[in-house]
Amino acid sequence: MTQVVLFNIFNGLIVGAFYALMALGLSLILNLSGVINFAHGGFLALGAYLAYTLIPYVGFWGALIAAPLLTAALGLVIERVLIRPLYGGDPLYGLLLTFGLAYIFEDMTRFVWGAQSVPFQVPASLTTSLSSQFFFLTGYRVFMIAIVVAAVGGLFAILNHTRLGMRIRAGTRDLDTVSTLGVNIRVLRSLNFGIGIYMAGLAGVLAAGLLGLSPTIGASLIMPSFVAIIVGGLGSLLGTLLGGLLIGVASGVTAVYFPSATEAVMYVMMGLVLLVRPRGLLGEEGRLH
Amino acid sequence: MPKSTSRGGVDRRSLVKSGLILAAAQVASPFVIRARAADAVRIGLDNPLTGTYAGPGKNELVGCQMALDAINAKGGILGRPVELVVEDSTSGDAGAAVQKARKLIESDKVDFLLGNVNSSLALAMAQVSNEKGVLHIVPGGHTDAITGSSCHWNVFRVCNTTQMEANAIAGSLIKDYGKKFYYITPDYSFGHTLEAGLVKAAGALGGEKVGGDLVPLGSVDFSSYLIKAQGMNPDVIIFLVQGDDMLNALKQAVQFGLQNKVHLAGAQQELEPLEGLPPEARVGTWVMEWYWNQPGVPHVAEFVEATKKRTGRVPTARTWFGYLSTWTCAHAAESAKSLKATDMARALQGFHLPPEIALGPNPVFYRAGQNQLIASLFVGDAQAKGSAPDDLFKVTKVVNGADVAGTVEQSGCKMTWPA
Repeated sequence: MTQVVLFNIFNGLIVGAFYALMALGLSLILNLSGVINFAHGGFLALGAYLAYTLIPYVGFWGALIAAPLLTAALGLVIERVLIRPLYGGDPLYGLLLTFGLAYIFEDMTRFVWGAQSVPFQVPASLTTSLSSQFFFLTGYRVFMIAIVVAAVGGLFAILNHTRLGMRIRAGTRDLDTVSTLGVNIRVLRSLNFGIGIYMAGLAGVLAAGLLGLSPTIGASLIMPSFVAIIVGGLGSLLGTLLGGLLIGVASGVTAVYFPSATEAVMYVMMGLVLLVRPRGLLGEEGRLH
Repeated sequence: MPKSTSRGGVDRRSLVKSGLILAAAQVASPFVIRARAADAVRIGLDNPLTGTYAGPGKNELVGCQMALDAINAKGGILGRPVELVVEDSTSGDAGAAVQKARKLIESDKVDFLLGNVNSSLALAMAQVSNEKGVLHIVPGGHTDAITGSSCHWNVFRVCNTTQMEANAIAGSLIKDYGKKFYYITPDYSFGHTLEAGLVKAAGALGGEKVGGDLVPLGSVDFSSYLIKAQGMNPDVIIFLVQGDDMLNALKQAVQFGLQNKVHLAGAQQELEPLEGLPPEARVGTWVMEWYWNQPGVPHVAEFVEATKKRTGRVPTARTWFGYLSTWTCAHAAESAKSLKATDMARALQGFHLPPEIALGPNPVFYRAGQNQLIASLFVGDAQAKGSAPDDLFKVTKVVNGADVAGTVEQSGCKMTWPA
C-alpha cells in the first residue's frame, strides 16, 4: 500500500506538471491583460489537431515545433481583432467573449476533424516504460516533463532577463505607469498573449500523445488549470506551477483511498485555500480584494 | 498595490464567478431544428451532440437519418412524410435532457421520442415520455433499469442490458485469462449496473473481484487508477468506462505496458474508441453489440456500403442502433395502423424485425413484457490491423441474445399499462 501511495505521489507530480504548463499560459494572459481566457482549452485542442494534421508531412518532431507556433499566430489574430477592443472595459466582457469562443472552437474542431476521436501517434521510441518497477515512468512522460521544465525555464528566463520580460512584469504590476513611460502596451499585450497561446498549443500537442484526441480535450483540461491558478495564487507564475503540482498529487493520493472523489478533491482544495488564504499560496497581497 | 484601471481589475472573485458560469453553462447548448411540414409524422431525437458522448451520439444520428430517408422513399409512415427533430441533450446533464424532451413533446408535438446514449439521461427522459404517453425508443443507454426495475409500457430499448453483456463475456474471460478481476468503472448508473452484472456473472463461475475504482465520468488521467490496479495483481483489468474515457484509459494502460503483465478486457467495446486509438493500443477482449464485418449475413454489406457513401466510414453499433430505432417507429405505426402510443406499444410486444433491419445472424425481436430488443452479441479481441482499414475487431464468438437475457421475471420489470 505504501508503494502504491508513493507511486501515486510521484505520478501526481508528473500529471501536475502538465496541468501547470497549461495553467502558466492562462496565468500569463490573466496577469498582464486581465482577460480570463476561457478559450484557452480551445487553443489547446487546436494545437493538438494541427499537430495531428501536420504529422504525416513533417513528423511528430516537426509538428511539435510548428503546431504551437501556428496556434500562437491564430491567437495573435484573435487578440488583435476581437480581444483588443475589450481591454480596459469590464473584465466580464472578455470573459463572455472567450467563453463564446471556447464553444465556437470546440464545434469548429468537430466540424473540421469530426466528433469522433482520432488516433494520434507519438514516435515508438517514446512509448515504452523505462523501468519495469516504475512502469508509469514512460519515455513520453519523461520527455513531457523535460518539455515542461524547458518551457517553464524559458518563460522565467524571458520574464527575468529580457527587456520584454521586464516590461511584462512591470505591466503586470502597473500597466498605466508602464504606458506612461513610453512602452507600447498594445504590442506588449499582443506578444504576451501570443506567448500564452503558444504554451496552450504546446500543452495540446503533449496532451494528444497522452490522452485520446477528441474535440472535448480542451474543455476537460481547462478546469484543473483554473484551479491551479487559484490555489497557487493570482499574479504569481511560480504559484501557478506549485498549484498545478499540488492538485496533481492531491488527485493521485485521493485515487488510492477514495477514487470517486479524484476530481472533487481539486475543488475542495480550492475552497480551502479561498477560506484560509484567499490570495492563494504564493499570490500577491493587494491583488486580491 | 493600487488597482490599475486599464487592466480592468480582474480579481479572485471574478475568477471564481467565472468558474461558476462555466459550470452553469453546461446546461445551455445549441440545438438544431429542421423545417417542418404541416402533416408530417415527427420523430424527436434527444441525444448527445456535444461532450464525451458526441461521437456515439452523432453516429446514432446518422443511422436515424439513413432510416428516415429510406422510410420517406417508401412512402413515409401511414402515408405521411416523416421528419426528424434533433436536440442536443448534452452528454451528462439530465436537467438539459429532460428539458429538451419536454420541448420536443410539448411544442414540437413529436409522435416518437428517441434517446439517450447516457443511461442516466435515458432514465430521466423515460419518466417524461411515460408521463406524456409518448412512444419512446432508447437506442443506446445500457443500464438494466430501463427495461428492468424502471420499465414502462411506452419505453423500448434497442441496445443490450448491461447484464446481457456481462453474461456474454464472463465465461470466456475466466476460462482464458483467470479469475481475479480488477474493475475500473465509471461512476454513474451504467457503470454501477455493468460492474454489478459482471461481478454476478463471474462470481457464478468462481470469479473474484480483487479491487476496483469508481472513476468520475469525463476523467482525463487514469494513471493513478492503473498504478493501483497493477498493485493488486489481478489476472484481468476490466475497463467499463466508455467513449473518450475508454480511449484515455486504454491509451495510458498500453503506454505503461500493462497489456504485457495482465490481460485487459471489458464488457462493452465500441468501434468509435478503437478508431481513435493508435494501433498499438487496440488490445483486449470485449463485447461488441453489432459489428460491420459479418460475412454471409444478409443485407449487412448493403448497409455498410450505404453508410460509407454517406459518411465515408463503416457503420458502428451506434449507427445500427439509430437505424433500427427509427425503423421501429415506422413498423410500430404500420403494424398498429395508428399513431396512438398504446396501440403501437402493444403492436411491438414480441415484434420481429425484418432481416434488412435486423442485420445479424440471430432473430431480432422486442421481448414481450419487458420491451427489450433481443439480438446478437459479438465477443472477440481488438486488433491493430484487420482485413480492411476499419476492421479493428476480431469476432471469436457470436452469442445469441436470447441465451444471455435471463427471464422477464429476473429483469425485475413489472409492466403496468394505462387503463
